[in-house]
Amino acid sequence: MRLHYRLQHPVRLDVSLRLDGFTVLYGQSGSGKTSLLKAIAGLLPAVGTPWNELPAQRRPIGYLPQGCALFPHLRVWQNVAFALDGTRVWRRARALQLLDNLDMATLAERWPSEISGGQQQRVALARALARQPQLLLLDEPTSALDMMAREDVMGELIDGIRRSGVPALAASHDLHLASMADSIALLHAGQVIQQGSPAQVIHRPVSAAAASLLGMRNILKATVLVSENGQSELDCHGWRLHAAATLPAGTRTGVAIPAEAVTLAGNGPDRPMTVTRLRQEGFFTRIWLQGESLPSLEALLPQTSVGKVGDQCWPQVAPAHVHLFTLDASLIPA
Amino acid sequence: MHRPTGWIVLTGTLALAVLMLPFAGLLFATPWLHLHLQAGDGAAIGISVGYTLVALLIVVIFGTPLAWWLARHSFRGKLLVDALVLLPLLAPPLTMGLMLSMVFGPYGWAGEPLRRLGLELTNTPQAFVLAQVYGAVPYFVVTARAAFEGVPQELEHMALTLGRGPWSIFWRITLPLSSLGLASGLALAWVRAMGEFGIVLIVAYFPQGIPVKLWANLQDSGLDATYPLLWLFFVVALPLPLALGLLSRRQPVY
Repeated sequence: MRLHYRLQHPVRLDVSLRLDGFTVLYGQSGSGKTSLLKAIAGLLPAVGTPWNELPAQRRPIGYLPQGCALFPHLRVWQNVAFALDGTRVWRRARALQLLDNLDMATLAERWPSEISGGQQQRVALARALARQPQLLLLDEPTSALDMMAREDVMGELIDGIRRSGVPALAASHDLHLASMADSIALLHAGQVIQQGSPAQVIHRPVSAAAASLLGMRNILKATVLVSENGQSELDCHGWRLHAAATLPAGTRTGVAIPAEAVTLAGNGPDRPMTVTRLRQEGFFTRIWLQGESLPSLEALLPQTSVGKVGDQCWPQVAPAHVHLFTLDASLIPA
Repeated sequence: MHRPTGWIVLTGTLALAVLMLPFAGLLFATPWLHLHLQAGDGAAIGISVGYTLVALLIVVIFGTPLAWWLARHSFRGKLLVDALVLLPLLAPPLTMGLMLSMVFGPYGWAGEPLRRLGLELTNTPQAFVLAQVYGAVPYFVVTARAAFEGVPQELEHMALTLGRGPWSIFWRITLPLSSLGLASGLALAWVRAMGEFGIVLIVAYFPQGIPVKLWANLQDSGLDATYPLLWLFFVVALPLPLALGLLSRRQPVY
């Protein structure tokens, strides 16, 4: 299914994307993800396809807003049965069946305030599925979950969605959730700038904007020195790098390197870099390096391997983690 | 729950005592052994209770949509509408009564044509109800509006995406979730309408409800003649707001 929506207010958006299974619309907070979902659900004025001609109550959409929005005065099963028409007995039976599909039938008689955030989400999912929608919309499904529960809850929610067979579009700025999706669409400056499988998108950002959105901390410029057999040697501000790609020698290219992919060696062929700053982050240490003409390089390392400010070292990156993209100069620091 | 601290108990008790003073005075002043109703007191009770219920119905029918509209829509000049709703509340009851007679009286620009249609709005039951409605409707609208505003709009939106139309959403989501506030509004409206004196006095001296009858008893027979009817007023007026108050103070189950 393809989806194309344009809206002017409260944010300008012109979004076109494919819906394959579980799709994550990935973008920063404030980029308009929630507005887009509301527009698709018919709650904000917009132009687009499909369903734009229908009022909100007639759209075949299952909407799970941030925080679930369960009806507090209705029991769990009554929430699920809200969209159902028919006799009370039938509605209750159908609601219990929907809850049972998500292993929630035992909570049917509870009030929404009596169940956990993760359980509320599955109730909201069951309620949304009751209408047999053609598309599920999920707004920041991980935002309300604490770190401990997140893995399990997200896993269960995604399993539930996959079992239902209904395509889903989740707005999120959680890269972990995005990496579990079938497809990621990157939203930047009101448009989808890249869409593909997590492997494609996370490992091959198409631009500096995409790389930056995906949390790659090192976004640099480089020149191809030599290129053969699917490998290129690059010069990046005097730092020699290898990338798993073939490009004509002399090409100027953008380079994105996640901080996690940088390792340090005790010696190397180039001139060393200097540690300018250190910061402890749990089991890891984030360090900032400066080369002779390389302004700044960020690395996230296991604590044991780190020295102190002023130390000299030779950063290295495996070719698989050196992501090349076409230069769009605007986003790269000089 | 926290135990109230000493000074709160003290000031609270003091406030209650001051509030109760007139009623204590009434309790002692009432000649309990020589109580007897005046002619027409019984009828006044029936008139007050019966017509107030009618007025309440009208207040709810017309006040609810207005309150909902004010709670859910923003438009240019909303402040002006807010002011218009407050005006009948602000106007001293006597002047409100005078304004109503100007408009609905026998020679008023609305009263004249209405009279020809058979609806006389001076000294009739209809006039009595009209006066009560004007006294009570702003209280209901202001309270009901706050109650509607307390219902998260997200829940109404959610219900919309679940395939329900606006009418169904109002009955199944908005109304139950605002019911406690609406009950307070209803109680306030009842109290206002039951006790309305100034407007009623001007517009409908007859039929005589309790407040005007109390005035008439005082004029005709003196202070002692007001006591029995006043006590009966409390007896008939208190149960509804008390019940609604208990209802709205009850902890919701959710």
